[in-house]
Formats: sequence, C-alpha cells, structure tokens
Amino acid sequence: MFNTNRQKIMDRTDILNQEWKTRRIQPVHIMTSVGSLRGTREVIPLKTLNAVASVPVMYSWSPLQQNFMVEDETVLHNIPYMGDEILDQDGTFIEELIKNYDGKVHGDRECGFINDEIFVELVSALSQYSDNEDDEEEEEHDFKVEKMELCEGKEHPEDPPALISLSVCLSVCLSVRYKELTEQQLPGALPPECTPNIDGPNARSVQREQSLHSFHTLFCRRCFKYDCFLHPFHATPNTYKRKNLENQVDTKPCGLDCYMYLVQVIAERAKTPSKRTVGRRRGRMPNSNSRPSTPSVSSETKDTDSDREEGNSRCQTPVKMKLTGEAEAVEWSGAEASLFRVLIGTYYDNFCAIARLIGTKTCRQVYEFRVKESSIIARAPAEDEDTPPRKKKRKHRLWATHCRKIQLKKDGSSNHVYNYQPCDHPRQPCDSSCPCVTAQNFCEKFCQCSSECQNRFPGCRCKAQCNTKQCPCYLAVRECDPDLCLTCGAADHWDSKNVSCKNCSIQRGAKKHLLLAPSDVAGWGIFIKEPVQKNEFISEYCGEIISQDEADRRGKVYDKYMCSFLFNLNNDFVVDATRKGNKIRFANHSVNPNCYAKVMMVNGDHRIGIFAKRAIQTGEELFFDYR
Amino acid sequence: MSGASCKANGAVYPASSAMMNSVKKPKMEQIQADHELFLQAFEKPTQIYRFLRTRNLIAPVFLHRTLTFMSHRNGRTNAKRKTFKVDDMLQTVERMKGEVNLPLFIPSQNSENEQNSVSLEVLLVKVCHKKRKDVSCPIKQVPTGKKQVPLNPDSNQTKPGSHPSLLVSSNEFEPSNSHMVKSYSLLFRVSRTGRRDTNGLVNGEANENIDVTDTPSRKKRSSSHRDEGETTETFVAQMTVFDKNRRLQLLDGEYEVSMQGMEDSPVSKKRATWETILDGKRLPPFETFSQGPTLQFMLRWTGDASGKSTAPVAKPLATRNSESSSPMETRTSNHRAALMTVKESVSTDIQTRKEQVLCEPRQKLRIFYQFLYNNNTRQQTEARDDLHCPWCTLNCSKLYSLLKHLKLSHSRFIFNYVPHPKGARIDVSINECYDGSYVGNPQDIHSQPGFAFSRNGPVKRTAVTHILVCRPKRTKPSLSEFLESEDGELEQQRTYVSGHNRLYFHSDSCMPLRPQEMEEDSEDERDPEWLREKTATQLDEFTDVNEGEKEVMKLWNLHVMKYGFIADNQMNQAIMLFAENTGAHIIRRNLCRNFLLHLVSMHDFNLVSTATIDRAMARLRQIQEELPDIEEEQQDQTVVSAGACNGNAVTSTGGKQGKRTKSALTD
Repeated sequence: MFNTNRQKIMDRTDILNQEWKTRRIQPVHIMTSVGSLRGTREVIPLKTLNAVASVPVMYSWSPLQQNFMVEDETVLHNIPYMGDEILDQDGTFIEELIKNYDGKVHGDRECGFINDEIFVELVSALSQYSDNEDDEEEEEHDFKVEKMELCEGKEHPEDPPALISLSVCLSVCLSVRYKELTEQQLPGALPPECTPNIDGPNARSVQREQSLHSFHTLFCRRCFKYDCFLHPFHATPNTYKRKNLENQVDTKPCGLDCYMYLVQVIAERAKTPSKRTVGRRRGRMPNSNSRPSTPSVSSETKDTDSDREEGNSRCQTPVKMKLTGEAEAVEWSGAEASLFRVLIGTYYDNFCAIARLIGTKTCRQVYEFRVKESSIIARAPAEDEDTPPRKKKRKHRLWATHCRKIQLKKDGSSNHVYNYQPCDHPRQPCDSSCPCVTAQNFCEKFCQCSSECQNRFPGCRCKAQCNTKQCPCYLAVRECDPDLCLTCGAADHWDSKNVSCKNCSIQRGAKKHLLLAPSDVAGWGIFIKEPVQKNEFISEYCGEIISQDEADRRGKVYDKYMCSFLFNLNNDFVVDATRKGNKIRFANHSVNPNCYAKVMMVNGDHRIGIFAKRAIQTGEELFFDYR
Repeated sequence: MSGASCKANGAVYPASSAMMNSVKKPKMEQIQADHELFLQAFEKPTQIYRFLRTRNLIAPVFLHRTLTFMSHRNGRTNAKRKTFKVDDMLQTVERMKGEVNLPLFIPSQNSENEQNSVSLEVLLVKVCHKKRKDVSCPIKQVPTGKKQVPLNPDSNQTKPGSHPSLLVSSNEFEPSNSHMVKSYSLLFRVSRTGRRDTNGLVNGEANENIDVTDTPSRKKRSSSHRDEGETTETFVAQMTVFDKNRRLQLLDGEYEVSMQGMEDSPVSKKRATWETILDGKRLPPFETFSQGPTLQFMLRWTGDASGKSTAPVAKPLATRNSESSSPMETRTSNHRAALMTVKESVSTDIQTRKEQVLCEPRQKLRIFYQFLYNNNTRQQTEARDDLHCPWCTLNCSKLYSLLKHLKLSHSRFIFNYVPHPKGARIDVSINECYDGSYVGNPQDIHSQPGFAFSRNGPVKRTAVTHILVCRPKRTKPSLSEFLESEDGELEQQRTYVSGHNRLYFHSDSCMPLRPQEMEEDSEDERDPEWLREKTATQLDEFTDVNEGEKEVMKLWNLHVMKYGFIADNQMNQAIMLFAENTGAHIIRRNLCRNFLLHLVSMHDFNLVSTATIDRAMARLRQIQEELPDIEEEQQDQTVVSAGACNGNAVTSTGGKQGKRTKSALTD
C-alpha cells in the first residue's frame, strides 16, 4: 500500500515537474563574483527567490460533493495539539477529552504488537531456516518463548523450569493458532458463506437467493450504489418487492426449436391426435420464418433455426421426432443452473428469454430443466398484497386537501426534524406505529409500504418553477422528487443545467462556481464567480454525517481550535465538514450575511443547501449566519 | 484669498472657522487641539502617499507621461520614429569621434523682443599654474562669444536647430606659451538689461533673492506690476571643462546650470556659504534648480565645425516657478513638519527634470486646498501657486490633469472641485469608504505574485488576454466631472469594483489559480479520485463477496458516481450506458454472468424492466462479437487458469480481506 502510494506520488511529481519545466519562469541566472577567503575571485550563479505572500492556514481536507456517513469513533485517534500554552493553562482539557472516549486512545498497546499477520509471517520466515535442523519443533519452540517474553514482558528467565513448562503449553497454543491461520490462507479457499464466482470455474449450483445475496444486501436502493457512503450503517430494508409484475410470456415462439412447440405437443398429445398438431404447426410456419431477423435472437440460434427450417421443409418426421422426443441428457454446469434459478425468478415461464440470457442453452433445454426443477421453484407469486388495498375514494382524494394536510403537518410540528428511515412493516398500513409517521416524515419511494400509502408524499404537479409556496414540495421544504413530480421538469433534461424546476438543485448538484481566496474577514473565504439572483441555489454544504454524540465529542476539540465546521442536519445527525467537505465550508459567518442555509429533504435524505439571501455580485465573498 | 497668504513659500494659513472664533483670544491650546485633529485625519494617508511617491521615484511602476491625461508631460514626439534607421545611430556616434572642437550651442531665438531674451556671454576661463611668488593663480578669461538667448521660451515653438550656438575653438585648449594652464572652465554670464521689478511681492516680505529669481517669469506673466529703474542683472555660472589633472569633465550632453546672481545683495553676501542663499535660509543645492534661474544648453564635442545644422535642440533658459519647499532629505525625517506644510512642499522632481513648465498659459493659477476633517465640521485652507500635486509633487501642469491625478492616485481622499475666481478650490476630505482593495485590472492580479514585478531581470508572466482598445472613445476632459455631485455621492466614492479583484487559490493545493484555470472548477468533480478509490477498497474489504461480484459492483459504483444518477426512472438509461461504456471490459474480464446478476438484482429492486435486461445483454453480446479475436484467447485462458480475473482480484485485494461481511450490514 505504501509503495503504491509512493509510486503514485512519484508519478504526480514527475508530471508536475514536466509541467513546470515547460511553463514556468526560466530562472534568471545572474553571475555574481564573490571574493573567497583565499583572495581568488569565484563566480557563482545567483538565484533570486521571490517573496511569495503567505496564505492563511489550511488544514488538509478531502473534497466531496455528497455527504459521507461515518461511524462514531470509539477511540481517540490523536491527541490534538494546540500549542503548548493551551496544554499548560488547561491541562484538564485533554484528560476530559480522553474520558469522552472511555480512555481509549488509538495506538495504545493492549495485548502486544504482534498480530496474527505478523505472527504467521514470522513463523513461516523462521521455518525455512529450521528445515535442516533435526527438531523443527524445538526451533519454533525457542522462538515462541522469546515471543512470549516480548508479549508478556514480565517474565524473566529467572525460573527456567517454570518458564519452560509455561512455554511448552504456550507453544502448543501457538502452533494450533498457526495452523488455524495458515489453513485459512490456503489459496482459493473462500469463507464458507461466500458464493463462488458465477463466472469462475468453481461456480456451484446454488439457489437464487444465494446467487443474488451479495447484490441484494450491498445494493443501496437510495444511492443506486453498492455499499454506498451515505447509508452504510443503517441499511435500508433491502427486501425488494416487485410492484409491476411484468411476466408477460412471449406469445410467439422464438424459433423452430422453441420449447413452445414442445409444450404444445405435450399438451395436445394428451388430448388430440398428433396429426392436428402438424397442421397447426404448418400454419405457424410463416410466423417463425419472419422471426430470425429479430435482434433478440442470438446468432447461434439463428443458425440452428435455418438448419431446422431446411430439415423441416424437406421432411417433417425428423422434426416431429425431435419435438416429441424426450429431454436430451444435457449437462448443466453449476453456473448455468444458478443462473437459471436466478432468471426463473424474474422471467418465470418465459423460457425463451431465459435461454437467450443464459446463452449456452436453448429454450427447450431450459424448459426441460424447469420441469425437472419444478419441485423446487415456486410459482410466480400471485398478486399478493403486503398492505391491504386502499379504498377507492382515497385514490381520488382531492389535491387541495392533501396540500392543506401538508401545511397543517408542517405548521403543527415542532422544530424537531428526524432522520428519515424507510419503513418496513409488512401487512400493516402506515399508521401511528409506522416509524415514518412517528418521526413526522413522509413515506418515500424507498419505503416498503404500498405506493398508495396515505403517508406518502404525492409530489407536485406544478408547471412553474416550484420556487414559491404554491408548490407543495417547496412548501414542505422538500426538493422535487424526479420520480414523483413529473410535470415540473424535475425529471427532464438530465444532462443540461437548464431545468424548468428550480427546486431540484441540490440533487442535481447544480452548484455555482466558487473560488477560494484569503477572506476579507478572517482566514480563508469563498467567493462567487458569477452573479446570482436572490434565492438562487449556490452550493450544498457537504461533509461527514456524524451522530449527535460524535458531534459533541468532536465539537469539544473544534471549540478549542476556535474553528468548527459542524452543521446540524436534523435531530439525529450533524454534518461535519472538517475532514471531508466542499468549498462552501470556507464561507465565513456574518450577522448580516448574503446567504442562508436551508435543510431540505432531498429524495429521502436531509441535505443542507446554501442559497443567496439577496442578489450577489461577481466576486463577492459569501457569508451565512452560523447560528 | 487675500494677499496675506501670498507668500510664495507659504506657511499654513488656516482660514478655518475655528481660527475666526479664536481671533480675539488666540488660545494656543485650542489651536493645538485643532491641529491635532487635523493631523489625526490627514497624517496617515499623507505619510503613505509620501512613501509611495518616493518609491515611485526610485523604482517607477509606471510613468506619468504615459497617462492620457498627462500626455503633455511627454516632451518628445514620435515623429522621428518613422524615419529612424539603425544606421543613423552609427553616424551619430562617428560624428562624435572628433574631439578637438567644442561647439557650444546656446539657444537664442529671434531676439527682436527684448523682454524675452537675455544676452549670454561665454568665457573660457583658464586657471594657470602658480608662478613662484604669486599669491593666487593667474586666471585668464578668454571671451568666446556673446549671444542673445530667449528667456523662458516655449519649447513647442522652438524649432530644432534654430538656437544660437557658440563654438569654442580647440586651439584654446592647446597649452599656451607663457603659462602652464592648470584647468579650463566655462563661465557663463547672463546679463539682463530689462527693467528691474522692484516692488516685488505685495507684502514686501520677500527676500530680495527670491524677488530677483522670480522676476523673469513673473514679468512675462503679469504686466500689472509697475516697473521702475533700468538696471542690469547678471547671473553667472561656471563649469569645469578640464580639471587640473587634465581630465575632461564636460562630456556631451544637455546641461542645466543654475545661475547665481552677481548683484550686490547684502543678505546674500553676508550669509554666503557654498550653498545657495535663499530667503535667509540655507538651501540645499537641489533647491536652486527649482528656484533660481537656470540655463540649459547642449554641449557637444565635434570634429566638424560645420555640423551646426544637425545640432540637437539646445535648451532654452528656463526659470522654474519658484516655490519654497521643504527639502527632500528632511521630509522623510520629520513628517509632522512636512504635514503642516502639505501645500507648499514641492521639491525637485527628479523624474521631471526636463519638464517644460512653460507650456501653461502664463496666467497665474492659485489652487486653494480646503481640508475638511472632524466629520467635515472643521476646515483648513492652504493655497498653492502651482499645479504640483501636494502629495507626490508631480507637476501636473494643467488643472484638469491635477484633479484627475488626485482623484485617481490618492483615493484615500475625496477631492471636490469648486471653481474659484482666482483659480480653483479643491475640497479635500477623508474617503471613509476606502478599503484598500485592488482596483486595477482583475486580469493583472493573476500574474503570479512575487514574479510579476521582479526587478531582477526579465520575467515570464502567465499568459493573460487583455483587451486593448485602439483609440477608445474618451469623453472630452471637462472640469465638471470633479464637481461635487449631489446624489449618491457615497456610492461613487466607494471603490466599486465588481469582479474578481483578488488572487484565487486552488482549494486542494493552495496554489494560486492561473487565469486560464478560472473557468473550470477542477476540484468540484462529482467523483474525486480518493472517493473512487475508497469505494473500491470498501468493497474489497468484504470477505463474503466473491471477486466477480466485487468487480461488477466497483464498475457500477464508478459508473453511478461519474454520472450522478438520482432518479429511479434514470436507471434503464443508466444500465444501457453502463453496458455501452464498460461492456468491453466486462467481456474481457469474463464477468458477463455477474453483470446479468447485477441486472436481475436491479430488476428485483424494481428499478429496471426486463426489457432493459434483454437489451443490455443483447448489447453486450453485440460488443462481444465486435471485439477482436484476442477475446476468445483470453476467454480460453480464463477458463484454463482458474479465472484470470479471479486471480487478479485476489491479489489486488491482498490483505484487505477479512474486515467486513455483508451479513453484518443487515443485522
């Protein structure tokens, strides 16, 4: 890791040096004569370093454009240094600080400094020297004694027999541990709970849930990412549920060899004579002839299609033979079987599609496999209802009543804003027991409740810019949800910044270009590049999302530094831009600011938007009221 | 303003209301307190401007003559440039080579106008070696010529070559027979047979010397003075040509010699020192140039006596406006004293040594500076007779230029122009809105600090695009622009610069932002490198996620981070884009089934339709077919070698594994 980092740094410096060579000022060499001590005159080039104005202090931070949730720190990572005088005059501060972390400071040695990795490395390194010795065990044994001394630190070889007896039993423990560790490290061995790679050679035939387990558990439905940065420790209920059952089975067979014929044959053979079957098939022939040109059919199947056609046109019996023939003994690899089980859960009886996706099997083979597996695979779920269906009248409730409700809700509520967490209470409507309702949040599209849920925010139907209280989203201090507000433009023009809806700036990251310079007030300041209108969005205040407790602990240190980037997000969380953030963190405080901050609900997340309080001119420094 | 303050070297004449009140009982404390207030208001800015002035003299940042409103300070014309050839320089140098003759060009215009010309006599003074018993060195004066030269000529009217010239034969410098000549010097004697202006200054306080020196110019200006007596004044100056070691002291060039009166003046006689005597005060040598009469001439050693026509313009005798001034040397040391006499401090302007004072209409202009302080409740007035800037002693020559200069160069003050029967009144008050912010071209600030104004040699600056306007439309200079405006005055005084009047820095490196980097917001990318790396390492930490899954997840995460998808209804599009962008990579790394699993998972979350899965997989197949044959080889390899990607994934993740499990997340 260190080496790769180092390599990266070297590369960077190389690039920089190249750049400097090409574009920087060529040094002006002025020869000066210097009388040396011996009286001879020597000439050396004089290089003048120009004075460079100093800039305010800046502690390093990482750039970020979206909030990043971090865990509470249980140990104090470093003892902050604030100059000797602070420590001198207030020695209790550090003590109190450490007490906040229950006395845990990073780097405190608890049990010893040899961890498992070093241990294994050490033993394997020593074992190659002990090869030629008669007693390998002894060598290792000796070493272990030494090691134990190091670890325990208290034992001294004053009492050899006792020590030896101790070391013998320790060595036994250690060798057991060593074996444990080395066995685990066997190449290719994976922890039992890990499904083998489906694209790898060791792919096993597993159930659908197992194949998709990683994808299902790691995927964040809110960020569309795996193991996202924003919702890591409070995973959303990832129980996925299909809402639109789109298992329309292709009514047309995918080709001559399609399983459908087989199904028909089987079905009709049971009822009617086969002769009719042939007749039916004839009638279908033109249909299937037109099919091969569709792109969804893979070339392989096309080839076989044409083959079949030829054969078909020449004589029908062989085809019929094939169709009616029982399942060929096809080898299904583990990967194929797993994939089939995955796809059958999505496509149900659309075997043509499944075969297309598997690629290596025909739909007939798939069908046959399906038949074999029928005992295991559940039927396509019927229209099941987690939440009882709502009454019809609710569906047609008036828009206005809803808006009024929103207003009442917001007016009646206190200032407490709680973090949104998607609710998941199967077979129960969102009533007073629903966490969303109790937290006075709307249910979002991420909730597991029905989309008709009464607590859902319906989105706006504005045709204007959504920047007045006419817009229910704006009124509810929410940004327009592109999946709910379909008329205002929040769901259009993904690529351009010209969106008619002005209430979706945070989610789109439509920030203004900001420039950093020493402030006119204190330290660094942030300046706007282009003029903005009143109420225009300027930037999101990004940072680490930490719990209130963590904020209290960190805040103690920040207060001492007289420099805090903490920003209350809601009752549960605080945004801290100290370590990670974006440029707006440099905005200074003012009692007469030109910007204001607003915590908005943006697609289920609270985010802080910084907006212009008045029209701001080019190059003006930005301030907002920290209080 | 009455004549009471007409003293040329004026002291402070507070005509303030405070003064008026205390007239009956002039309390010293009151005056002093008032003075304290005055200092409080004006001391600091004045000090600053004094300092800046000195700095600009030593190392000019710009030349005043290049400013449009100071164009008259630019004495030379560019007319010659058109005909200039490099060879001319050689000719000029060659002509100089002969060094026998000393032609001396003394300006003399048409001397019909007696009042405008004086007679100049040039004598070659030879100081010979002492003979044994001689008390003093024998001196021989050889007259070389006498000419009429114009007095205070207008240089604009002077045509080059029209000046009289004197030629001193080189024979004169030959060792003479009888005496060994020790040194040669030129003695200039200017005699004026004009009528003597005896009444001088109205109050009669002025010293005779001043009176005399002043006369030539004043005479020209005002005929209102009564003239009496027909006397001859004589001024002399001496310059050494060869010193006693026979070293040449006078080289080619333009000279300006300060002349000293020969007249009997009891004061000057008594106090005569090596310095010029003026007003009974000792004056350093520089002052004589601004006060006394001077003679300008051009000296040229030529080998060719007939080269008169090519002789450069000889400078006419010029007398500067005489104003007393605190000497430059003392100014820096005693600011307070200087401050008191803010108005009168004019000293030699080194930079403008050759300036032509005389192009102004000779009508005497009096500028009254009215200093307002203590919330504009108190004022002090001072008058000046010239158009020099009181802070940087720059001779602005014109009232418009002066006002413009004051307004632009001394923005710590507010200047308001009020017409005055005798000249002009300028109200000076402190500019409360002055904030010291940069008011120049914002583009200039990007020239790297510390590099831009290096004096150590040529410096390469960053490339900046300037818009230069050739002959821009300028409003006709009018004094009315300096009149106090009634409305929105405060707004006007504010240094109102919209735009980027500061140097910006990169937020990651704290390096100055170069102008070409202004447009792109480099550090505001949606997926900074560290975050891309972080997402990869975070996924690598899982022990119970296999390599194929990890790889697809990483690819997808980077894809989402890059495009910043925010809506469910973007997902179909996102998937297609993903297949398009990373399809080749997925095929190469043999991840197709994992990709399919990812799609199915997305479908399970109800984010994509089955149609999208079909289309994405179809696109993947298509890409696979388009890929070159290497693919198949690679695929074979992967099958054989237990999955190349798997192996790679394992090695790359290394010891990272074993930290997290996905099952822990769902707990």
